[in-house]
Amino acid sequence: MNSKKFRKKFLSTLLIIAILLIVFIELMPIIVVFMNSFKRDIDIWARGPFYFSFNFDSYKSVLSNRDFLLSLRNSIIVAVVSTVISIIVGAMASYGITRYVFRSKKLIAYSFLIFRMIPQISLVIPLFMMFNQFQLRDTLTGIILSHMSFNIPYVVWLLLPFFAAIPRDFEEAARIDGASEGGVFWRIFLPLVGPGIVVSAIFCFLMSWNEFLYALILSSTNARTAPVAVNGLLGQYAPKWGQLSAAGTIMLIPVLIITITLQKYIIKGLSAGGIKG
Amino acid sequence: MKRKRTFKHWIFILPALILVISILVYPIFYSIYMSAYDWNLFHSDAKKFLGFGNYLSLFKDREFLHSLWLQLGFIVIALPIETIIGFFVAILLNRDGKFYDVVRALLLLPVFVLPVISGLTWRMLLQPEYGMISFILEKLGFGVKAWLAEPNFAYSMVIIQDIWRMWPFMFMFIYAGLSGMPKEYIEAAQIDGAGLWKKITKIVIPYLRPTIATALLLRLIDALRIFSEVYVMTGGGPGNSTLLLSLYINKQAFEFFNIGYAAAMGVILLIVALIIAFFIVRGNIQFEGEKG
Repeated sequence: MNSKKFRKKFLSTLLIIAILLIVFIELMPIIVVFMNSFKRDIDIWARGPFYFSFNFDSYKSVLSNRDFLLSLRNSIIVAVVSTVISIIVGAMASYGITRYVFRSKKLIAYSFLIFRMIPQISLVIPLFMMFNQFQLRDTLTGIILSHMSFNIPYVVWLLLPFFAAIPRDFEEAARIDGASEGGVFWRIFLPLVGPGIVVSAIFCFLMSWNEFLYALILSSTNARTAPVAVNGLLGQYAPKWGQLSAAGTIMLIPVLIITITLQKYIIKGLSAGGIKG
Repeated sequence: MKRKRTFKHWIFILPALILVISILVYPIFYSIYMSAYDWNLFHSDAKKFLGFGNYLSLFKDREFLHSLWLQLGFIVIALPIETIIGFFVAILLNRDGKFYDVVRALLLLPVFVLPVISGLTWRMLLQPEYGMISFILEKLGFGVKAWLAEPNFAYSMVIIQDIWRMWPFMFMFIYAGLSGMPKEYIEAAQIDGAGLWKKITKIVIPYLRPTIATALLLRLIDALRIFSEVYVMTGGGPGNSTLLLSLYINKQAFEFFNIGYAAAMGVILLIVALIIAFFIVRGNIQFEGEKG
């Protein structure tokens, strides 16, 4: 009896050790970035991976680097603006598709779902030519537009089941009260799909924040976003790993906050189509 | 309930539709147009109509076939491993409690880490002498090497980087499916005296098959267009040993400026992606709303 109890306890301890080991391995690279952000570039080259220090020089260099600050500002503007516009037009479209009966309904819905899956590299070549033609290259407008190309279809796709789940009665009641088409959408439906809006806002922001290829090809100095700037810290001859880690840690802050606090929404967001633009 | 026909829905749909047509649909057609030309940006005046010529040359382009091969290998190796790890960790972590909630949240972090940061971090870990992984390999007696300068090793590391980042994605889906599984399924099997292995193969896997299929298709489409991580980690090198499809297209388009030729490759990639998308969409129809 006693040995059985002991065996059980032993196994559950083993399980917890195994789990902690998995978590440790999984977070190791992120921890390394975090630790290296408190080292100077020279310490990283010279002192081996297990040297610890708590030095803010890398942060100071990065935060006084005008190019990086500009790119950080650009990243925030691009992510926020593309998220807001995508949510507004996306929610409207999703509402229009689910709440009305019309012939091309299926075609339109499927098209949006499929647009979500277009590989970036296939799209960036024609966008590069078009942006050159319309003077949109290296402008924030251009980068925002390019990010909307993956965010709008994402919002439409994600919100379809949310809008579809709302009972007809809500709508009928509002119409009887004399609400206009727009009023029904803004005052009745939008609040009801609140959780859906939250999920799509999180994911749009993250996808835009993490996006690299469009920014790499479609911007040069003015509209460069932070992921491209971080990569630029690699330099030609001497990679500035300390500064790179500091910049990386700064970039990771919103990502960490979002993933940890909004845990329960994440699976919903992931099921609506990957995590990349 | 039938309603009378209106056009009001277009007021709601049009803004998104117009935007999407101008930044997605039109560019795609434009790129099909581009793909029909021998078109180099350095001498764009000499654009020459080829019809399907670019597509035909692709089959003779050894570098293209090589990148296709690397891409295929990447998918065939990474995805099953991600699924298997995700599956077993999901079984391990299918328990209630605050501890497990926190663990699940932490495990999901790498999925959301910026691809650029992920690629650069692995590059940093593999730097000779001061990179953590190189350091450990050195202590294990593998010598001091610039690991990312070894073609096979670089390719393996690109795959390992992806497995590290993405098995939690599979894990999350499988866990979600698993936690929704009725307890009676397992209990019934227990009464029948089924062992653990039998429970997994006869009950859990069949139950989770649709979930795993959807998650795998989503992964497949992401894996097919992987770019940023690899671009910053190895740049496609050494040589062209990690030059996956997107990287080769990028190289043709924006290093050699063969945009006609690159557009043709883009169109082929697009077609493959659309075929996969078709299967995802088919399993995801839930927008019809309530019946009646």
